[in-house]
Amino acid sequence: MWFGPNLQRSYKYMMFASKMPSLRIDQSDLKCKNGCDYFGNPQWQGYCSKCHREQMQRQRKAEKASSATLPKPEQKKQEKGLKLTSHSSFSKFEEKRLRQSETLKKANLLKFSVFKKSNTEDHDHSSEKRPPEFKIPALVNEGMKSEFRARFPQLPAQVDRDARVFVHSFIMDVIKCANVMTVDELSERVQRQYQRFMKHMDTSSHFANVDSDTKELLMDFVEKHAMTYLHELPSVVFSPSGTDDERLDRAMSERIQQLSWVGERHLECKLDRSNAECRTLLYKAISELLGMDSAPGPGGKLARVRRACRHVLRLCSAAPASADDLLPALIFTVLKANPPRLVSNINFVTRFCNAQRLMTGEGGYYFTNLCCAVSFIENLTAESLNMDKKEFDCYMAMPASIGGSSWAAALSLCGAAREAGEQRGAARRLLQHAADLQAAAQQLASNALSFEEQIAKKVQDVLAKTPLEIKPRRELPRLGKLQEISTAPLIDLGTSTDREEPQPQPVPTSQPQPAHTVPVEPKELNVTLDPPEDEPKLNILGFEVIDRQSPSKSPQNLDQTWDLKRTNSLELLTPSPLGFTPFDSRSIDELMTPDDFGNDQLPPGLSNINYDIDLSDFSGDNSIAEDAPKSEPKDPFSPDALKKTQTFDPFAPQTSRGYDAAIDSFDEFSFVDQKHKETDPFEVVHRGQDPFSPVEWNVDLGKDQFRSQSPAKQSTSILDDNDSPTTGCLLPSPLQPQSSGRPN
Amino acid sequence: MSTAASGTHNFKVVLLGEGCVGKTSLLLRYIEDKFNDKHLTTLQATFLNKRLNINGKRVNLSIWDTAGQEKFHALGPIYYRNSNGAILVYDITDEDSFGKVKNWVKELRKMLGSDIVLTIAGNKIDLEHERTVPLEEAESYAAMVGAQHFYTSAKLNQGVEELFLDLTRTMIERHEQNAQADTNRTSQVLVVDDEAPPAQTSCCSGNRSN
Repeated sequence: MWFGPNLQRSYKYMMFASKMPSLRIDQSDLKCKNGCDYFGNPQWQGYCSKCHREQMQRQRKAEKASSATLPKPEQKKQEKGLKLTSHSSFSKFEEKRLRQSETLKKANLLKFSVFKKSNTEDHDHSSEKRPPEFKIPALVNEGMKSEFRARFPQLPAQVDRDARVFVHSFIMDVIKCANVMTVDELSERVQRQYQRFMKHMDTSSHFANVDSDTKELLMDFVEKHAMTYLHELPSVVFSPSGTDDERLDRAMSERIQQLSWVGERHLECKLDRSNAECRTLLYKAISELLGMDSAPGPGGKLARVRRACRHVLRLCSAAPASADDLLPALIFTVLKANPPRLVSNINFVTRFCNAQRLMTGEGGYYFTNLCCAVSFIENLTAESLNMDKKEFDCYMAMPASIGGSSWAAALSLCGAAREAGEQRGAARRLLQHAADLQAAAQQLASNALSFEEQIAKKVQDVLAKTPLEIKPRRELPRLGKLQEISTAPLIDLGTSTDREEPQPQPVPTSQPQPAHTVPVEPKELNVTLDPPEDEPKLNILGFEVIDRQSPSKSPQNLDQTWDLKRTNSLELLTPSPLGFTPFDSRSIDELMTPDDFGNDQLPPGLSNINYDIDLSDFSGDNSIAEDAPKSEPKDPFSPDALKKTQTFDPFAPQTSRGYDAAIDSFDEFSFVDQKHKETDPFEVVHRGQDPFSPVEWNVDLGKDQFRSQSPAKQSTSILDDNDSPTTGCLLPSPLQPQSSGRPN
Repeated sequence: MSTAASGTHNFKVVLLGEGCVGKTSLLLRYIEDKFNDKHLTTLQATFLNKRLNINGKRVNLSIWDTAGQEKFHALGPIYYRNSNGAILVYDITDEDSFGKVKNWVKELRKMLGSDIVLTIAGNKIDLEHERTVPLEEAESYAAMVGAQHFYTSAKLNQGVEELFLDLTRTMIERHEQNAQADTNRTSQVLVVDDEAPPAQTSCCSGNRSN
């Protein structure tokens, strides 16, 4: 056991001995200062490990003794956070630790949740004297758990638990000991922990079925997680305070900078700067070396070094690269890379990586080569570069910025090339993305087109099924406003056609004006207005009226009762299934009605009335709503209707006179007419006038658009009206009185 | 250190010798049974992990090539620390290389004592007619320093396998001897207070987690 550390230290001595004038090791340089047969180490003040430990123990005993005499004041000082003027490096070291532990405690209080309990308990078990200072974040355990599941799914949960327990106790142990031990003792302790885990794996029944390869993986796994956590703690394992690591880092960095003039010819390695592939490989190797610092665990750092060295090996031109080629090339790479915190990283790996792997694995081999390279750089002389001493001194005296410009340029070129490559890749991705977007947009456009076509087709189909018939249906409304509502939907289906024929006939005959334009629609409009007039009749003869309407709604007029029901409530509902036509007719009728009234009737009668109606017309929805409700209320409001009819009466006769004959010709109208001759004629007249007047007048007024658009809008509006019959009821009433007022 | 958990021996062997004596060729021959094959462009001949089974004992051999240039000589200790065996290669046609071997032997014995198994390999016996290192001298020197001596030819594939096999056997013997001494020593050393508490914690927390 004594030899291991000895060798390690001797190697370190090689690396960091700064006095060495030549590369030859002199026996006396290596020996322990105590004069024992073992080798010494500068970090141990020139003692060998054994003597150094004895020395340290003596020192610590002395410290303990001194602190035992004055324990409280020191503690107080630290608690107050006062700046101690530390005389010995050791007290400074302690102070730093304490401060750090406090900050850690704070951080951990926030982080800890799950494992808090067991942690403290563990800690109390292991050392009851000192209060728990550190708590390992649950994150470590969680991370281990998840990674274990991913990497060793076949292993039993017991193994996982063992590993986590070990890592936990391991971390706690290291943190505890970091306060009191030197780095090298800590390193030995860590190595012993690794061995302990190995032994545990050999002896524990949990690991009985685990083969040796998996055990090695488990070892790495444990090491990785323990060290990854510890690595992040400042100055515990990575460039720990109490060592020269940080200073050596700076020194090494400066040294490498100073040696930037060293070229491939000095090292006798065959690198071709003009070769692009060679440059790229070198660049990759350098970036891997630079990445070593950011890798958290020793395993990760080793992996980086391994990758870097593989690149370097490919860099060597000889077919199977030998160590003779590898080392110079690696030295050159390190010189060009100047990795940050190189010494700290190397020391960290040397101390806390599982020694087993460092000695045997491929990573260990490459890492050793890196150590060699660093050592060589550290002790580089004119002799080792086969240079004249004067020339070497000249180079060394030269400002660092001058040397190595060619390679630096080549490498920066490489970096630029790589960046360009990345940019190109990004651009390609963007282009691809844009292309995708474009394709999607086109797809969308085509979808929209096809959708439009489909819609158009459907609309056409629907139109083909139920388009023109609407107009005739409007004739029905004559019966009465109440009837109108009911009739409008009814009209759509079958009756409309029947009525169409009659309408045109009456129109021309009854009134010249209406006859010109489309008779059908206007007639309906008229009907809506008229119904109030008819209402009295409806009230009286409600059933009859309904009967008449029913046929209009459904071609077969036979079911009178049904029709009645429909008229009242169903009308509103029915329009939607029936299609646009009924609504259109209604809306148009409604729209028209005001105009018609105005146009047809106004010439003879009142213009004021028209204005009111026009407003409603312009907003198709409103007009519809108003109209629909009007129709509804009429039926239920038979009494109102009666009143209205009375008012209307005067109006009706004027318009109706001419139409009477035509109206009579229609079946339904004829019925109505027969029952209420006064209203009927009015209605007829209105119808005739309405259709004509709206079409013509509207055209003149530019209302054509309204009409064409109105059907669809109206249909929807009608539905709404259905929902709120009450509002409809309210709305129609004003209109009716107005209309009635006109005649007056 | 060199015994893995499951009884597999892990041995580290370094190849030492002056540049151009054929270290890499020896290694290559042992790896791939090929000599200077141009197709081995991707292969690296600097490091080899070889698994052997000798008398039922599993051995994991890690063979490290080293840079032989004179200017890197000082780096030797970094290479050979903690190694279980060393193969010192010289060129029978080059007397200087044999002198180098002598230096290495001295250094190794100083640094590593008798823990390391030394094997001296006189390479390039296919160039027997150009031999400059007398056969007797080499063998007597090897015997004197307690090293095995082999004549090899990487080119003709002579003696390479034997060299590594014999070295491995010797290392196993040496290791088993040391293991006994080691256990004695570790029993003394490991009594140190460290071992007990961690074991305790692992037990406790193990129970708790159950």
